[in-house]
Amino acid sequence: MGALQGRLSPDAGAVLSRLLGRWALPALPIAFAVVFVVLPLALTVAVSFWTRVGLIVRPAFTFASYAAFFAGARLLVLERSFVASIEATALSLLLAYPIAYFLAFKVSPRAARTVLLLFTVPFLVNYIIRAFAWTWLLGRAGLINGLLMASGLTNEPLDWLLYSDVAVLIGLVTSYMPFMIFPLWLSLAGIDRRLIQASWMLGAPPGRTFLRVTLPLSLPGVFAAAIFAFVGCFGESAIPVIMGGVGYQMMGNSIASAMDVLNYPLAAAISTVVLAAMMGLLLIWYLAFDARAFLGMILRPGK
Amino acid sequence: MNALSTWTRRDFFKVGAASAAAAGAWGAFPGAVRAEGGTVNFADIGVGDPGGDWSLFTKATNGWNVNLVAIGNAPSAILNVLVAGGGTASYDVINIVGGMQKPLVDNDLIEPLDTARLPAWNRDRNIAEFLGKGTPGFNFIGYQDKLYGVPTVLQGDSFAFLPEKTGPLDSYAALFDPKFKGYVALEDNYTTAGQKTALYLKNANLAKIDNPADMTPEELKTVIDFLIEQKRKGQFRVIWSSFQQAVDLIVNKEVYVIDCWEPMVFVAKSKGVNAVYADPKEGYLLWAMAAYLTKNPKRSAEQTKAAYALLDFMLGGWYGAKITLMRGYMTNTDAPDYAKAHPDQFPADAAEKVAAITANVHRKFAQGGTWQNRWPKHVDTYETEWARFKAA
Repeated sequence: MGALQGRLSPDAGAVLSRLLGRWALPALPIAFAVVFVVLPLALTVAVSFWTRVGLIVRPAFTFASYAAFFAGARLLVLERSFVASIEATALSLLLAYPIAYFLAFKVSPRAARTVLLLFTVPFLVNYIIRAFAWTWLLGRAGLINGLLMASGLTNEPLDWLLYSDVAVLIGLVTSYMPFMIFPLWLSLAGIDRRLIQASWMLGAPPGRTFLRVTLPLSLPGVFAAAIFAFVGCFGESAIPVIMGGVGYQMMGNSIASAMDVLNYPLAAAISTVVLAAMMGLLLIWYLAFDARAFLGMILRPGK
Repeated sequence: MNALSTWTRRDFFKVGAASAAAAGAWGAFPGAVRAEGGTVNFADIGVGDPGGDWSLFTKATNGWNVNLVAIGNAPSAILNVLVAGGGTASYDVINIVGGMQKPLVDNDLIEPLDTARLPAWNRDRNIAEFLGKGTPGFNFIGYQDKLYGVPTVLQGDSFAFLPEKTGPLDSYAALFDPKFKGYVALEDNYTTAGQKTALYLKNANLAKIDNPADMTPEELKTVIDFLIEQKRKGQFRVIWSSFQQAVDLIVNKEVYVIDCWEPMVFVAKSKGVNAVYADPKEGYLLWAMAAYLTKNPKRSAEQTKAAYALLDFMLGGWYGAKITLMRGYMTNTDAPDYAKAHPDQFPADAAEKVAAITANVHRKFAQGGTWQNRWPKHVDTYETEWARFKAA
């Protein structure tokens, strides 16, 4: 490049540098995204319209797989996945927000870093082992039921603690709540404290300051956290199988089941429906919040 | 060492030489692969690993090693490995639960076997007795009159129970007995739980099912409707999908009756739980694992010889006894005799265990039941109907 610039006039060299700076650098991540994200997703969408002859998948344009999905029992799985993911996300948010708030405003940065580090520990444990650990705690002969009976609160084990919707909710919340704390903390820690101080000085009580200043300014983080959790819950496959009731499935399990009989168009159709739902959520986030502002708050030093 | 050498001669040179002489081709002899050796790439679902010890194979083949790679047993996982993952070029032999010949052959992924290159083939009486042409078990190793799989393990499944909670049980009816409501678990598998339910319904004259191993869509719907009715009554605690999960259900006494595999009972017993594997009057769900030679036109003749040598090794006494001892499945008819004749490799109690397991599984096969069908004619309907049961 230096040799090339040496042969060009200074103006032409500057223009070339500007063009390279403008297009060459972004080209790398764009190319990466196209090759590793867009193309596989586009192929998934395309296959969902293909037809299956015996075990072979052939290019076509048919809605047969979508018809099979929307007419069959898998629609119930989609509905269950939405409900369970919304419940788990909402509950996780209720737990994660106060923790993030406390870390952002009430403790020293050093203490916050230590606590955040502790919240990364669950990520170091294999998710299947984590789910199995819950079954040992929540089972009929598990620790929780043992304590409940020993304390006289119940006379017999509570069956619904495990292999139930409640158990799945416990598994999802404990798995994905830690994911939510980080974007929430980043968002809250990035709020300009002078805005909060101004609210106080203008006479707003703490509750109103929170509702009118802190909460709105943290909403991009709330939505980002909610998306992380919702998407994770929606695609979860281990927790429903290990902790759910008889045949409890979420979309990940349904896709795997279709793949087991090599019904790739159906698996692709289910994946496309899930993808569309997730893209819809991301679109709302994109339209409702200025992601640059959120990132700016994160990246701003000294907060 | 001496005994090892004796075995090597017996299994790979003497018998092999006789076969080769009969075939008139020394090159077909598994032990005749070149002295410098190489590596046979072996994909396995976790059952066929003799604890990483391939030393006898290496010795018998003058230096060939085995590179074992674990793969999943689901049809999609197997086909993904072989098709998308280029597995026919990567692996010489795949050892999976048999009965997968249709998708494997239709996708040109495995080769028919030349049993003349397998000296141990004719020694294994299990093949002729349970898996030969004309028997229902042939579907586990053959397809359209051709042989594709070397049977590596055989087993008959039923269900387990905790006798102190249930008393003695001898029928699949226990899975649906209201006395055990909420204390029953099924496997998340339509070819096991679905087929066992069909076997029960057929034997109890509760449904008209011609062949539980290959049901029509209408017959399958009857079975699934029955299971949904039971599910809604609260009969089942859970449907399990992993070995550990099933073992935990038994050991923690979370359930009293469970549709499961016999090795899970062995593990439960080793943890001090008095679990019994049932001998149901309706018979067993019979199945076999098969080792297939992958189709790779670029594989050298020498590599193919080594792959055949591995297949033959898997039909041998040492490998069979080792797998029986480790996994609790019947393997080949040489296994008990070999274990008994080689106390330096298999102590007396281990040899007795091999003999007992072999005799027990042999009895199950003699009793009969239904052969698990990994790829029924209406496999899509099976999957869809099972999804309906789970979603209900």
